[in-house]
Amino acid sequence: MTDELVVSGLEVSIGTKKILRGVDLAVKQGEVHALMGPNGSGKTSLAYTLMGHPDYRVDAGSITWKGENLLGLAPDKRARLGVFLAFQYPSAIPGVTVASFLRNIYNAVHAPKPAPGGGENGQVPKYTGIPLAKFRRMLEEQMALLKMDPGFAARYVNDGFSGGEKKRLEMLQMAILGPRLAILDETDSGLDIDALRTVAEGINATLSPQMGVLLITHYQRMLNYVKPHFVHVLMGGRIVMSGGEELSHQLEANGYEWVREQVGEPEGVADEAPEPVAEHA
Amino acid sequence: MSLSATQPGVGRSVLVGGAATDGAGSATHSGPTDWATLRRFSERHYEPSWLRDLRSAWWQRYQDTPLPSGQEEEWRRTPLADLPRNAELLLDAPATELDHDADLAARGVIFTDLRTAVREHPELVRAHLGIGEPVESHAAFWALSLAAWTAGTFLYVPRGVEVDGTLIARLVTDRADVAFVPHTIVAAEPGASVTVLEELVSADGAAGWFGGTVEIHAQEGSRIRYARLQRLGDGVWNIGAQRVVVGTDAEVTTLNAEVGSRVTKVGLDVQMTGRGGVSRVLGLLAAGGDQHIDINSVQELVGSHTTSDLLYLAALYDRAHAAFYGRIVVRPGAKQTSSYQECRNLLLSPGAGAEPIPVLEIETNDILRCGHGATAGAIDPVQLFYAQSRGLDADEAERMIVRGFFEQVVGQISSETIKALVLDALARRIGSSTAFDEADEADAA
Repeated sequence: MTDELVVSGLEVSIGTKKILRGVDLAVKQGEVHALMGPNGSGKTSLAYTLMGHPDYRVDAGSITWKGENLLGLAPDKRARLGVFLAFQYPSAIPGVTVASFLRNIYNAVHAPKPAPGGGENGQVPKYTGIPLAKFRRMLEEQMALLKMDPGFAARYVNDGFSGGEKKRLEMLQMAILGPRLAILDETDSGLDIDALRTVAEGINATLSPQMGVLLITHYQRMLNYVKPHFVHVLMGGRIVMSGGEELSHQLEANGYEWVREQVGEPEGVADEAPEPVAEHA
Repeated sequence: MSLSATQPGVGRSVLVGGAATDGAGSATHSGPTDWATLRRFSERHYEPSWLRDLRSAWWQRYQDTPLPSGQEEEWRRTPLADLPRNAELLLDAPATELDHDADLAARGVIFTDLRTAVREHPELVRAHLGIGEPVESHAAFWALSLAAWTAGTFLYVPRGVEVDGTLIARLVTDRADVAFVPHTIVAAEPGASVTVLEELVSADGAAGWFGGTVEIHAQEGSRIRYARLQRLGDGVWNIGAQRVVVGTDAEVTTLNAEVGSRVTKVGLDVQMTGRGGVSRVLGLLAAGGDQHIDINSVQELVGSHTTSDLLYLAALYDRAHAAFYGRIVVRPGAKQTSSYQECRNLLLSPGAGAEPIPVLEIETNDILRCGHGATAGAIDPVQLFYAQSRGLDADEAERMIVRGFFEQVVGQISSETIKALVLDALARRIGSSTAFDEADEADAA
């Protein structure tokens, strides 16, 4: 079984608002899929739904990952199956240092699953996690790759971080966790050109033939650094157009109005689709 | 002068014995004891006459001071109707258990049970016991404690002596259904320095009354770090008061970690009297079940160039409720002072509640800074989702966020001993986060 994400006929609401109106998408390992679309088209909602945000209700359709049904699984279970979401607006966790957070999530994701029925005498040996020295080496290497100051590790998670620092920490977490499916939600937003290049290099360094990527972006510029195999346009809660890399250039040149002319105005006009509440936090 | 008085409403007679010279007048309100009992207690322990006179004067003060009616701003949120006011005073109180270096005595440091200190160092006790006016919000309870204390801790550090490490005093009783009124004195002479933890433990179960009071005297240029870890039984009404006097260029940090009790109603009075004094008034509250915690603080800036910062953090579970009524008072003669009070409450259940109420009374224009911050709210669901999306289950994500929330105070605890004991006590309520287990391990490495 290849590592494959299959989204089929996905309909999602938040409260009484319908946001996704039947999304079909398949991401195989080794593939980079760019998901583009205007504001409010449902891009972040799709990302949150894939990760299991409790506010997003799945009304119809399915999400499977490596053949396993993800619906109904808590976000932490999905993370342990190798799914990762880089947030557009990462949360601060005051009082928790980057270093201890990273080691903790590394151990959470990589902890061996308890054997069915327990081990010998029903005793499961306590998982003590990655040795500290080994973890520190890994952290230092990855931070150097993302051009992060070593002092960064002692700061509190996203607490008082600039936009660029937050995005770098998302990429650092991705590198440390080594997911099989990475959903990057507007990782390019709020970055200047230098920061964009650094973050993109971080993504490329983490990419592997075993990993599938769903790269959500407004703009084509990120795709100059991270080359997509497929480009999709999400509009009004549906993928209305798909193509290769050239599609991103057409979008850049012609705008989303061109898409509307091509496919007709989808129901659930973009402007009416609610921004996810969480994005404003 | 009457010899007895019947308390309306409580159906109990309180015998007040002795002659007028005892200073014990007619009872105006009932309590856990009476003057005859206290006098007998004093005599049985061969207390010096000055101490008996002092007890008598405070008993009179107690009689003359009405208990809070519930109309006072400080007492509106904590009705006293269910206070077990007839719980019997614990006369046979346990001595303080002490943990310290034996050679401290050679340097003139006195760290002992308060009753022992009365026998061995009466003049030093006399110089520090019951100095000044009662803590205003808790005046009646302060007076009762000064009259009726039967146990306590006495720490005295002479001029220029710096005590390394952490002194630990434990007051432990296996009784719950009693009134336990211990008094603590921490006194540092000029240039002295000391760190001390006092831990209070009592049994769960029956309703009891704990009336512990604390006096901290920091003389010129001294440094005191005082931590109080409250692990009283789940039926206990903890009605305590603390007075801190910070002298010229002295530096005092207090930490109150409130974990136990049914009701905690503590008055804190921080007097910034000397020029250039600094105080940090820290609190960590972890409450669940039907616990009720109500803190009244006063930071009074009298001396010029003084600094006083208060920071209380509360994690409230189940139906626990925390009230905080804190005043900063900047007196007219106090120039160039800096003061702040911050009270933050994390509500971990829809049934939990918090009422932080800050009051600033600034009587001069010549201040550097005076402000407050108060918050009460649940964990941001996005924050929880964020942590969960990284592989942490919901419980661990919550524990990590709560423990991180406390770090703002925990990070200011310089004694590793105190930090470990306080965190261990808090973990019974908030759990222990693996993110912080690893941080501890990293610190040790």
